[in-house]
Amino acid sequence: MRFEWFVASRYLRSRRKQSFISIISIISIGGVSLGVATVILVIAVLDGVEHGLRDRFLANEAHVVFRLHDHSFFSDYEKRIAQIESIDEVVATSPVILSQIGVFPEYSDTIQDVIYIKGIDPDQEDAVTGFSELVSGSTDLKNSEFIENARLIRNETITGGIVLGGRLAARLGIIKGDVLRLVVKLVKHPVNASMLVPDLANFVVIGLYESEMAVYDNNFGFIHINDAQKLYNKTNRINTIFVRLNDAELAPQIARKIEDSVRFSVLEGMPDARTWMEMQAPLFSALRLEKIATTIIEALIILVASFNIASTLIMTVMEKTKDIGTLRTLGSSRSNIMRIFMMQGSVIGMLGTMLGTALGLAVCWLLSSNTVRPSYWYALVLIVPILLQVLIALWRVLPHKGRWKFAVGALWIIGIGFALYCAVRPISFAELGLSHIYQMNQMPIKVNWFFVIFINVLSFMICWLATLYPAWQAANLKPVEALQHE
Amino acid sequence: MKNSAEVLIRIADLHKSYYDGEAELRVLQGINLEVYKSELLAIVGASGVGKSTLLHIIGTLDRPTAGHVSYDEDDVFNLPDKDLAGFRNKEIGFVFQFHHLLPEFTALENVAMGALITTSNHKTAYKEAEALLDYVGLAERCLHYPSQLSGGERQRVAIARALINQPRVVLADEPTGNLDRRSSETVLELLWDLNAKSGQAFIIVTHNQELAQQMDRIVQLVDGKVVDSGTSLGKSEVSEN
Repeated sequence: MRFEWFVASRYLRSRRKQSFISIISIISIGGVSLGVATVILVIAVLDGVEHGLRDRFLANEAHVVFRLHDHSFFSDYEKRIAQIESIDEVVATSPVILSQIGVFPEYSDTIQDVIYIKGIDPDQEDAVTGFSELVSGSTDLKNSEFIENARLIRNETITGGIVLGGRLAARLGIIKGDVLRLVVKLVKHPVNASMLVPDLANFVVIGLYESEMAVYDNNFGFIHINDAQKLYNKTNRINTIFVRLNDAELAPQIARKIEDSVRFSVLEGMPDARTWMEMQAPLFSALRLEKIATTIIEALIILVASFNIASTLIMTVMEKTKDIGTLRTLGSSRSNIMRIFMMQGSVIGMLGTMLGTALGLAVCWLLSSNTVRPSYWYALVLIVPILLQVLIALWRVLPHKGRWKFAVGALWIIGIGFALYCAVRPISFAELGLSHIYQMNQMPIKVNWFFVIFINVLSFMICWLATLYPAWQAANLKPVEALQHE
Repeated sequence: MKNSAEVLIRIADLHKSYYDGEAELRVLQGINLEVYKSELLAIVGASGVGKSTLLHIIGTLDRPTAGHVSYDEDDVFNLPDKDLAGFRNKEIGFVFQFHHLLPEFTALENVAMGALITTSNHKTAYKEAEALLDYVGLAERCLHYPSQLSGGERQRVAIARALINQPRVVLADEPTGNLDRRSSETVLELLWDLNAKSGQAFIIVTHNQELAQQMDRIVQLVDGKVVDSGTSLGKSEVSEN
């Protein structure tokens, strides 16, 4: 190996007769670098968005939702809750009645919408989903002053308070203090028993739920669990238990444990515990798909760059044909020759991958670090052109020897680094007016080290594969023909 | 003439043809030749008669279409490619008309290259290379690149390179063909001196009658056949007398 490396490294360092080839090797290194840098950056952004959304989501969502398969009501829920709470990882539970109900505001005589009504105990719900943090207005579903006021001034029965999704309230055109009517069921008319009339329950809007998560803000209303039980005539019964865990990642295992430990008779039905992952599968699988697609596209970019490596090597082989003949004459075997050119290509691939990784990680850091930066203008107007001028002048004047070459190289890196430092900054979603879509103020960056290693290995493998054909071509040159090559 | 117990290379019924489509170009047509240990052998003949082809086959750089080339009675073309490369590295040295030095490497590295292929002890290899460069009178030029050397100097480096692994035979294809008279003389003196000192066999392909006359034996090729093998009185036999 030492001999092959001796020759390969000299070929890499030497100033080529055909400077075209060295330009192409620089372009190949650049191509691989850019491919690796962009894939690291893009995946860091996608991972950042996924984690940001996930954190937002998990902050106000149950990790496991437990109910019967047919969503029917069940009794003895305190006992069942105790069974669930006895499982190690469970930190809080909340009994809930979840149902869909038609609503119409007090000004209207037609049903305006069908919404999800969640009957909760606010304190227990708080422990699971942080309910009250997201409510503007009152969360006292039983005794809010809005309820008291409505009872005083209105000539109708007020069942209780309701916290309504903010956007839903806007859509229905109602504000805090207004009454919303819920159509619970149909009952026989008290006079004419052959007629069915809707059984209405009046709730006073006491607060608005603003989680910035469209599904809740658009479709949910929260009432007290006792009121919900009254609506359905289901005293001491519920149909859902929300569960919060110590570690959201353990949801699948704990969900199975809950299904196993909470017993129901055959008549009651089959228990069904769903995890937050299952409930949000479309969102997260879309993000995952996006990541896979990105990785494939970036791998293609690296593949294109690897073609450059192959063509550089093919040209090197052509240029070095006579030398290959000489080396064969001196007793190098085919495998010696093959390894020389594979090493040469692999070094290009490795340099490109390493530079790309450094660049990608540097940009990730610049995009996530909120330090105060010099103005963009330094980068654009001053640094780049002046630095280029100075460096080109230095490059021409200085002798091309080790120390100077190193110093000029270091200046280049410092110059480009400083320009990047000025120009690349965190991207503010707030300034772009995107914060309500992504529910984050700044474009999130999360470097996945496992993926960085994976893309390094992948990139190096692709580059290594690209060396095989040219190296094989070099190894199979006939010594006599190679010697006579002009 | 040397006796048959000292045969180093035995070439038996050697044929080499090149094919261009269906047309066959028969370059060597049944060569039979023995090369003795420590012999100075000249191969002469008109251009295109197959001298270089014969030299390349003796040097295992090319394979014959038919026939055998045996070193110490072992047919070298029975060896697999890797072993053949190793054999070439150890047993055969080459000197070409155009020096074929590697331009990216210094004189010292060029000379050491043959040893570096197989040894992991670079220090010894460089030491030997240095001694050889000293021997060819280029001790001062160790760290010069081929482009910084004159034609004669390059050829002397090439000779030093051919000797690095102490091969048993040195094959030279017009070693002085590209040199002026003075450089030629220096190079040839080196070759004779080497032959006398280390007892290597030399097979030299040349057009140069004067050079051929100084060898132990001259083999003449005509139309791919040996027409005259060993008629001339070589230099060493003259000196032995």
